Amino acid sequence: MSLLLGPMCQHIPGKKGLTDHSDVKRLMPKKEVYIPLFAGNNSQIDLLVSEGDHVKIGTRLANTKSAFPVPLYSSVSGTVKGITKRPHNSLKPQQHLVIEVDEQQEVQQAFLPMDWHKANREEMLEFVKESGIIGQGGAGFPTYVKYQKVENINTLVINAVECEPYITADYKCVMDYPEQFVHGVRILQKLAEVDTVLIGVKKTHPDLINVIRQEIEREHAAGIEVREVPDVYPMGGERTLIRQLLHREYNRLPGECGVIVNNANTAILIANAFELGQAQAKKYVTFSGEGLKYPTNVLVPIGMAVNEIIEQIGGYIEKEETLKLIAGGPMMGKTMVSDLIVIDRAMNAVTVLKNHDEEAMTCMRCGSCTQHCPIGLQPVRIANAVKMNDAAEMEKRGAMQCIECGLCTYVCPSHIQVTENVRKAKRTLMMKAKKK
Amino acid sequence: MKFAFHVSPNLQSKHSTQMIMRDLTIGLLIVFAASVIYYFAAWGPAYGMQAIILLLCSLVTTFVCEAVFAKVKKQDIKSVITHSFGWVTSIILVMMCPISITPYAVIVATFFAIAIGRLVFGGFGYNIFNPAAVGRAVIFASFSGVTTNLVTSATPTGVLASTFSWMPGTEAALQSFLDYCGGWGGLLLGTYPGAIGETFSLLILLVGAFLIVRNVIDWRIPTFYLGTIFVITFVIAILEGIEPYHGIPGWLWYPALHLLTGGVIFGGVFMLTDPVTAPTVPSGRIFFAMCAAALTVLIRLKGNLPEGCLYSILIMNTFTPMIESALDLPQLAQMKKAWIMIACAGVLSLCVSFYAATTVKRVNAPRNLEKTALVMPSAVEEVL
Repeated sequence: MSLLLGPMCQHIPGKKGLTDHSDVKRLMPKKEVYIPLFAGNNSQIDLLVSEGDHVKIGTRLANTKSAFPVPLYSSVSGTVKGITKRPHNSLKPQQHLVIEVDEQQEVQQAFLPMDWHKANREEMLEFVKESGIIGQGGAGFPTYVKYQKVENINTLVINAVECEPYITADYKCVMDYPEQFVHGVRILQKLAEVDTVLIGVKKTHPDLINVIRQEIEREHAAGIEVREVPDVYPMGGERTLIRQLLHREYNRLPGECGVIVNNANTAILIANAFELGQAQAKKYVTFSGEGLKYPTNVLVPIGMAVNEIIEQIGGYIEKEETLKLIAGGPMMGKTMVSDLIVIDRAMNAVTVLKNHDEEAMTCMRCGSCTQHCPIGLQPVRIANAVKMNDAAEMEKRGAMQCIECGLCTYVCPSHIQVTENVRKAKRTLMMKAKKK
Repeated sequence: MKFAFHVSPNLQSKHSTQMIMRDLTIGLLIVFAASVIYYFAAWGPAYGMQAIILLLCSLVTTFVCEAVFAKVKKQDIKSVITHSFGWVTSIILVMMCPISITPYAVIVATFFAIAIGRLVFGGFGYNIFNPAAVGRAVIFASFSGVTTNLVTSATPTGVLASTFSWMPGTEAALQSFLDYCGGWGGLLLGTYPGAIGETFSLLILLVGAFLIVRNVIDWRIPTFYLGTIFVITFVIAILEGIEPYHGIPGWLWYPALHLLTGGVIFGGVFMLTDPVTAPTVPSGRIFFAMCAAALTVLIRLKGNLPEGCLYSILIMNTFTPMIESALDLPQLAQMKKAWIMIACAGVLSLCVSFYAATTVKRVNAPRNLEKTALVMPSAVEEVL
């Protein structure tokens, strides 16, 4: 523990045992999938198929027109049925492309594979752009964007930490495809033009560490190293992981200190794209939490509705009103009021918890939030500024740097929704910035 | 078909304010129990009962004040009392009082501590001053002569302040003081008359360690408070040329004397750490504790008061909002500023050392302190 700073992280019981020993269930929708036609706010979708068209797994469905365009590929084979508006995990209803699933499930190559041993960096970057791969860590940022400028990059960090409680999807996925994982890492290593690659894995998963180490050895991959990291939250956050592995700090983006961070799952997608010409079609998703009868990992096509998956794996323990349905893990995931949402490309878990809340008490200024904030903010002071409605102070106290990891609320002994207070400050500041 | 909505995160630790206060209460009661046992054993049942009666008087006053407050604000009485943790204030206040004080003085002091010190600011979490310190200051200011017919000898802290000006300079002077309070062992174990709970230095340190492990108090505050007092008095001992005591050099026993008397350990563990009245940011807490230490020594040596600790806490409480707004940036962005502030507190502490060392004369002659001969009501000579 440092003198002037608190621990800046906290061990949280992982509850990984609910799902990490059971086999992954492969599920298919009975009738339809709903592909979200959504790639971040302010994105226009340019649809390439029309109603009645037959599509295969890997058929290009749409292009997006936004600052960072990403193409969409079909995750199933079947017939396009049109467009419908459904609830979406971005909290607003969005347009979804309805595809009726057929029996055959034909596969077509989404694009031509590329021999990454021979290709040069520019070709590879263009290939990643066309593959439509987005980061699997949760934010869903297009992967190619991180690799556009690599002159100052000297280290690539692969994030296989999975620090959110309950989630084991990344763990399962890498355990199942270690070869693809290491290939993907080597491709990213070449894209980033770095010698050093560090793979962060929690020390509570020694089996995963061994599997990856063996695979690296088998491939004689140079410069790739697995590093154990402690079982604390938010170790999978970019800033905390870089601090742990490299003892570096940065201001806004990891690139400032010469680091690119990518999720483990992203590496597997990259390998499949380069070697097989496959676009992302299916996804490992953890369905866990005390609100589910049989928590498990599932492998489902993108666009499968959450209610259908939960029905197929055994349903809820009680009626919906007393449960919380969270898209993602319990710390950073958002509660959804409807289970009609579908599995989107960057979603790696659905957590169902019982809805009981501890009563909030007066803040006694214990400073726990200040000591645990991974960014080093002072949430209690930001909350005070919110109370005073003092936007200048909110800005000075760094509210905009908050990553909303939720740790301040977790550690608060008075059970105050501290994170929500900081979020209020962020909203106030964003409104103010818009007005200008 | 609607699920419950909740803002993220949807997970909270089991750690709660109730648990923190429970641990703190247990810690305080352990020390209080030791005190009661000591008074029963060393001074007789009347003294032991007196300690218990004082605590009961204070607790009842606290609950009555809070119940009236709840009634006036039309809140549920039970929830106000269980959520404001007034009993902690009560226990601390009683433990700071001498055994000879009358119950009615304790009742008035408790009223001030709870009503003026806390409730008028809005209750638990909003008070500016440590409420127990407010109550104790009221006793100092208004009830210095009010005592029962229970008499003890003069408290060693009082003697140290009044007879030795906090600076026994020779082996003989120290020996006459130590003979009076039962030697170093007596100072460490607390088996001498003083404030009810303040004297049990070793026990309080053990309880403090337990509270630190249980995440009830921040280790930085007691460590830096007691550490800074040690350093300041260490420098004073060297500058004054305080003589060794049976081979123990002056720069070692003199700081130890300061730490073991006058309730600084009690204050550093139980009062300065009160989160409500201390800064929230760790760097601010270090600055806060160091300044409090400098004030404690300054008040002791220049103000010649036994209770430097109490006033230093109250004074530093007023600076808490200022320290917080000075250290308001994201912590990683203000490391340099924090170090500069801490360095300034260090310089301030050294200034206290030099000032005290150059102006206070050490007392070299041994004094004849007959334990049995002194039947002066302790509250009187506490303000001498």
